[in-house]
Amino acid sequence: MSRGEGPVVSAGALVRLFHVSKSYLAGSWALRDVSLELEKGEFVFLTGPSGAGKSTLMRLIFAGEQPSEGQILVLGRNVGRVGPAGIAPLRRRIGVVFQDFKLLPRRTVEENVGIALDVVGVAEREKRARVFAMLKRVGLHHRRHHHPLSLSGGEQQRLAIARALINDPEILLADEPTGNLDPDLTLEIMDLIADAAARGTAVFVATHDHALIERYGRRVVRLEAGEVVHDAPVRGPLS
Amino acid sequence: MSSVAQVRTALRTALHGVTGSPVTSLVAAGTIGLCLLLVGAFMLLVSNMDRLLDRFGSEIRVSAYLSEELDAPSQQELVARVETAPGVESVELVTKEQALERFRDAQGERAALLDGLEENPLPASLEIALVPEQRNQAGLRVLGEALEGLPGIAELGYGHEWIEGYQQAVALIRGVAFAIGGVLGLATLLIVANTIRLSIYARREEIEIVRLVGGSRSFMAAPFLLEGGAQGIVGGGVGVLLLYGFYWILLPSLRGGLELLLGYAEPAFLGLDESLWLVTAGALLGVLGSALALIQDGDRA
Ligand SMILES: Nc1ncnc2c1ncn2[C@@H]1O[C@H](COP(=O)(O)OP(=O)(O)OP(=O)(O)O)[C@@H](O)[C@H]1O
Ligand SMILES: [Mg+2]
Repeated sequence: MSRGEGPVVSAGALVRLFHVSKSYLAGSWALRDVSLELEKGEFVFLTGPSGAGKSTLMRLIFAGEQPSEGQILVLGRNVGRVGPAGIAPLRRRIGVVFQDFKLLPRRTVEENVGIALDVVGVAEREKRARVFAMLKRVGLHHRRHHHPLSLSGGEQQRLAIARALINDPEILLADEPTGNLDPDLTLEIMDLIADAAARGTAVFVATHDHALIERYGRRVVRLEAGEVVHDAPVRGPLS
Repeated sequence: MSSVAQVRTALRTALHGVTGSPVTSLVAAGTIGLCLLLVGAFMLLVSNMDRLLDRFGSEIRVSAYLSEELDAPSQQELVARVETAPGVESVELVTKEQALERFRDAQGERAALLDGLEENPLPASLEIALVPEQRNQAGLRVLGEALEGLPGIAELGYGHEWIEGYQQAVALIRGVAFAIGGVLGLATLLIVANTIRLSIYARREEIEIVRLVGGSRSFMAAPFLLEGGAQGIVGGGVGVLLLYGFYWILLPSLRGGLELLLGYAEPAFLGLDESLWLVTAGALLGVLGSALALIQDGDRA
């Protein structure tokens, strides 16, 4: 239901950044003159040392922060101009796996995933079915009545991924989505994410895990001190 | 989109809110209850004074004294004409003889003095009752003007001038009740707004997360409005029940006081419609208080 709303910018670019800079504190730049595009169905890794600006870049895309300079187009909308009322509809079309998960501590696993369907008004019966299927895919269906704080780090991470994917987002932003997972689970989760890309979702995954980048072999954007120092397929000339 | 699902979600979230901070919710409901208890007490007073006024109103009459030369058929004719005058409910003819009889009854033991009279000095009269909505100074004036021109009427007499004073007292009490109700309502609104703000604050993390996954402003606000409304309904209900309780406890002394003041004691509790009105006012206070909190803390919610 979240697909096909509103105009999309030409050539399938779902995200476009034009000379974007972000400064939290005067005199220091978290992002500096970043320009890039993300196409429909594209699977892009975002890498770089800690503090390079990966999370900041993602926050700018889902309008969690506004850029200090430059323009950002997401799903055909200029996020600097949609206004408070326009942000919620935009976010419903974007799935985000937050680096710190951002789970609701007082809600059950099931409710944490369901909230993403609640905000778009999916009926109860359909919601239950979809939530159960999604929890099964991430291997959490047996824990659906538990609360997030009683889950392990890896389980919480899978829960965050389930919530991000439940709505079939057009854009998936995953900030270190496998940081707490063992190698087997990592591959399962990455397959889930790759599936979404195969169905047309533009996927942006921030990671430090080079093995992962090697294995999935897609386009890699590398940030250092807020600047894009590399943007090419992993086996391309610069890598 | 399914609005049923959205309402259900809002209800569930509101329930989470209430069970998550029951003390805060109880304080808010209690405040609304106390406010409405006081407002209800004034409503009770005013409605009882209104009922008294109605009862006295039926005693507002105009006496039209007839001239001596009017014979019986002309008197009957005059009754028929007066019956069609504006605001008249009923007309009763009191003949000279009946007037003397009434006077004699009223005088009791001293009635013997009347035996010395050679002729009956009392005139015949028409006792005119007004329809309920004309039982006031304006209605009396209209009727007076209509009767003044009629031949055969010598003089008009009005009883119960004090009714006007009583009406003014009722109007005053009503005004005071409105003023106190307004002030109490405003105070309650602010208190409810503050308790809802606490509840917004307690849930700020949750609100932020739901905003991040695309919850709209109204999606976030609905549970708080529902919570406020529910607190208002509970508070209003408790207020009415408390009022009822106090009323029954104080009824004996109320009755005594009324009897002493007015020779009349038949206090009545608020009707169902007035009680429902109080509960509705509570719900409204709750919803408005929440709305106020949401406006103040709009960025968080
Ligand atoms: N809310 C904030 N206020 C001030 N400075 C911030 C804020 N968020 C991030 N920064 C700064 O911006 C820079 C980029 O931070 P960011 O979180 O985007 O890095 P990152 O690449 O995600 O790092 P990591 O790999 O550790 O998650 C850092 O220097 C950080 O200290
Ligand atoms: Mg980060």
